[in-house]
Amino acid sequence: MEVPRVVVTGVGMVTPVGIGREETWRGLLAADNGVRAVTDFDVSDIDSQVAGQLTGFEPLDWISRKDVRRMDRFVHVAIAASDEAIAHAGLNVSAEAEAIGCMIGSGIGGMATLEEQFRVLFDKGPNRISPFLVPMFISDMASGQVSIRSGARGPNYNTVSACASGADAVGSAFEVLRRGDAQAMIAGGTDSCITRMTLAAFAASRALSTGRNDDPEHASRPFDLERDGFVLGEGATTLILETLEHAEGRGREPIAELVAYGQSADAFHVTQPSENGEGAARAMRLAIKKAGISASDVGYINAHGTSTPLNDKFETISIKTVFGEAAGAIPISSTKSMVGHTLGAGGAIEAGVCVLSLRDQRIHGTRNLLVPDPDCDLDYVAEGARDLSFDYAISNSLGFGGHNSSLIFKRFVA
Amino acid sequence: MSREVVVTGLGLVSPVGNNVPDAWDALVAGRSGIGRITRFDASGYEQPWGGEVKDFDPSEHVDAKLRRRIDISTVFAIAAAQEAVADAALEVNAEAPGAVGVMMGTGIGGAHLLVEQQRILDEKGPRRVSPFLISHMLPDTATGLVAIALGARGPNFAVTAACATGGAAVGEAAETIARGDAEVMIAGGFEAPLQPIYYAGFMAMKALAAHEDPTQAVRPFDRDRNGFILGEGAGMLILESREHAEARGARIHARWVAAATSNDALDMVAAAEDGRGIAEAMRRALARGELSPEQISYINAHGTGTPMNDRVETRAIRDVFREHADRLPVSSTKSMHGHLMGGAGALEAVITILTCKHQIVPPTINYTTPDPDCDLDYVPTVAREVPVEYAMSTSIGLGGHNSVLVFGRWEG
Repeated sequence: MEVPRVVVTGVGMVTPVGIGREETWRGLLAADNGVRAVTDFDVSDIDSQVAGQLTGFEPLDWISRKDVRRMDRFVHVAIAASDEAIAHAGLNVSAEAEAIGCMIGSGIGGMATLEEQFRVLFDKGPNRISPFLVPMFISDMASGQVSIRSGARGPNYNTVSACASGADAVGSAFEVLRRGDAQAMIAGGTDSCITRMTLAAFAASRALSTGRNDDPEHASRPFDLERDGFVLGEGATTLILETLEHAEGRGREPIAELVAYGQSADAFHVTQPSENGEGAARAMRLAIKKAGISASDVGYINAHGTSTPLNDKFETISIKTVFGEAAGAIPISSTKSMVGHTLGAGGAIEAGVCVLSLRDQRIHGTRNLLVPDPDCDLDYVAEGARDLSFDYAISNSLGFGGHNSSLIFKRFVA
Repeated sequence: MSREVVVTGLGLVSPVGNNVPDAWDALVAGRSGIGRITRFDASGYEQPWGGEVKDFDPSEHVDAKLRRRIDISTVFAIAAAQEAVADAALEVNAEAPGAVGVMMGTGIGGAHLLVEQQRILDEKGPRRVSPFLISHMLPDTATGLVAIALGARGPNFAVTAACATGGAAVGEAAETIARGDAEVMIAGGFEAPLQPIYYAGFMAMKALAAHEDPTQAVRPFDRDRNGFILGEGAGMLILESREHAEARGARIHARWVAAATSNDALDMVAAAEDGRGIAEAMRRALARGELSPEQISYINAHGTGTPMNDRVETRAIRDVFREHADRLPVSSTKSMHGHLMGGAGALEAVITILTCKHQIVPPTINYTTPDPDCDLDYVPTVAREVPVEYAMSTSIGLGGHNSVLVFGRWEG
């Protein structure tokens, strides 16, 4: 059996810079800021007080009142993104339910539900725990609920690799299609867990920006000398992946092609990247090799670029390792500079960004790169969006636990 | 091009034994591992039964510093992985960094850690929350730690699919080898759900079994079944390309033949009454393995012991296997070890592999009163010698997830 080509025919996005794909894309191109002070709960005793938050997201616009109560917010967001992606692709899921699967990665799951139920447990006792606790917070529920809603009965699970979860879900779905286990996959990532516990725990791990609580719009500053940690974010993105044959069979023009997925583990440290970004470089190299291209074919890198001192330094080194002297000529931008770090959603949002960049031959910039860092001396598109004529985009995702994933998208040529 | 994949190592930590030989002896003897919960104060419950791992010493598996940072479920995963790696006599070669990967599943992740830290947050404030919480409570913490311990730098992530998690993780790992992205994968699942909030959550769902005698509480396929019992532990496999295993002269337990997942796309809790979702996964697995239904010699069923699961699963087996279903032994080892949630599919994969190796199938204990809705051969009470060529393991989860694995006897 010939391995099928896999194309993207739909994208749905819900992010702190826009509810919806084109709104998000416009926001990113305009270098809009999605990071605001957290006001939904008391943060006065937490070191980090800002987050990339959705503005104007109303779950009831998508989901019935009864179901909204029985789903955690990470599922609400995933449903909104998936509905948009399915509509964008014009995919009639129920007409070929068994040929369509669903993989929506989530790194954390329903943290807000869990915290609320902890309070019930502590204050009122175990007999008052909700029967919906378990089916609301487990991290596979985005995959489950999107299937239930769309009718997709093919391969279905959630991949978890901390901050690379969304990328691995897209990569795993790509492999499902290549091995012939489905004709189309609803694939992406979601996380929405801006809660007291999550903020406190990430702050305790010293991963978050704490120095700009009074200046949220400048808190996420990947590759900038004065970066001091990442900003927690929330959101989701879903892609519709399908075999080229399937897309052509139903007369859909692909938006872009997904050509390779490379994955590696650092096997080094739970929270720190391996020395000089060795693992990240290996994932990029693997993806480039599997795409059957050479490094010089890559026209754009959507970086993991979290805005932590170590990540951005080591990711820069890993890019230099892979691209050599040409590294300086490749534009690199970090979506997280505008939406924050959306954890399991990050890899999917950034995959969506690569698809739209190839479609429009235009890339967004890195916001807040104001003070150059001698350790980060590549072209991060600091001045804002630019037109770019290019064929291949690579999206990097690196997660706690030493997970590294690279996806390569290609401008679609029949 | 799809490469052949074999199983060269097994490891487990379970309510019926903390290593493969002990657990297998107990399962073949039909011994229950269900008893009174001691992992938390469950004295407020009338029948606080659980499948606990017993006489387990974490210090034999992780050092004291790491133990303080990680959840007990992660210790189970590490211990089972250690047994599997030793069983396979696997040495990770630093010169082939991507050759060995790790893929494990868990339904929940670090539940015990989280509840402990929530109390600290509430009582002492956010600045006292552990810096190790986030990085050590995630479902993928164990895959990262096992990779670090072994230097395994290949494909690495966790899979979650509720109670179908273990099967999905093992299947994804096997496919990773089959497509050539790794030579060896350490794969499995683990869970430690005996924790007040989850116990209460499942109680609220009215999913847990009630019976005066804990060892008789889980009664899969029996007319008087009334729920499942939560169990804890881990099951791990070393999956390897046949080529790699033979080149290093590894002993092979069984062949991995196929994996499939599907979703009912119906309801977040209830399975489709006609069993179409799990039937679809069984059919996909048979197709992936290029097998006819008649070639399957044994099914290790999901068989939770809930009224609905066992009825639906029986229907699906009848639907897929037709007349062969009358000649097909089907047993639920959950009758002995309880429901390990994200660990279940992996533990049961290990058991399914052992049926291929030993040509014996463990029984369904507590099956005493037939249910007209469940009319298959459930291997009641006593283990049976069966010529097992191909054996199937099924898993069905909340959220409509289904996973199926098929293993085959190794003619070595």
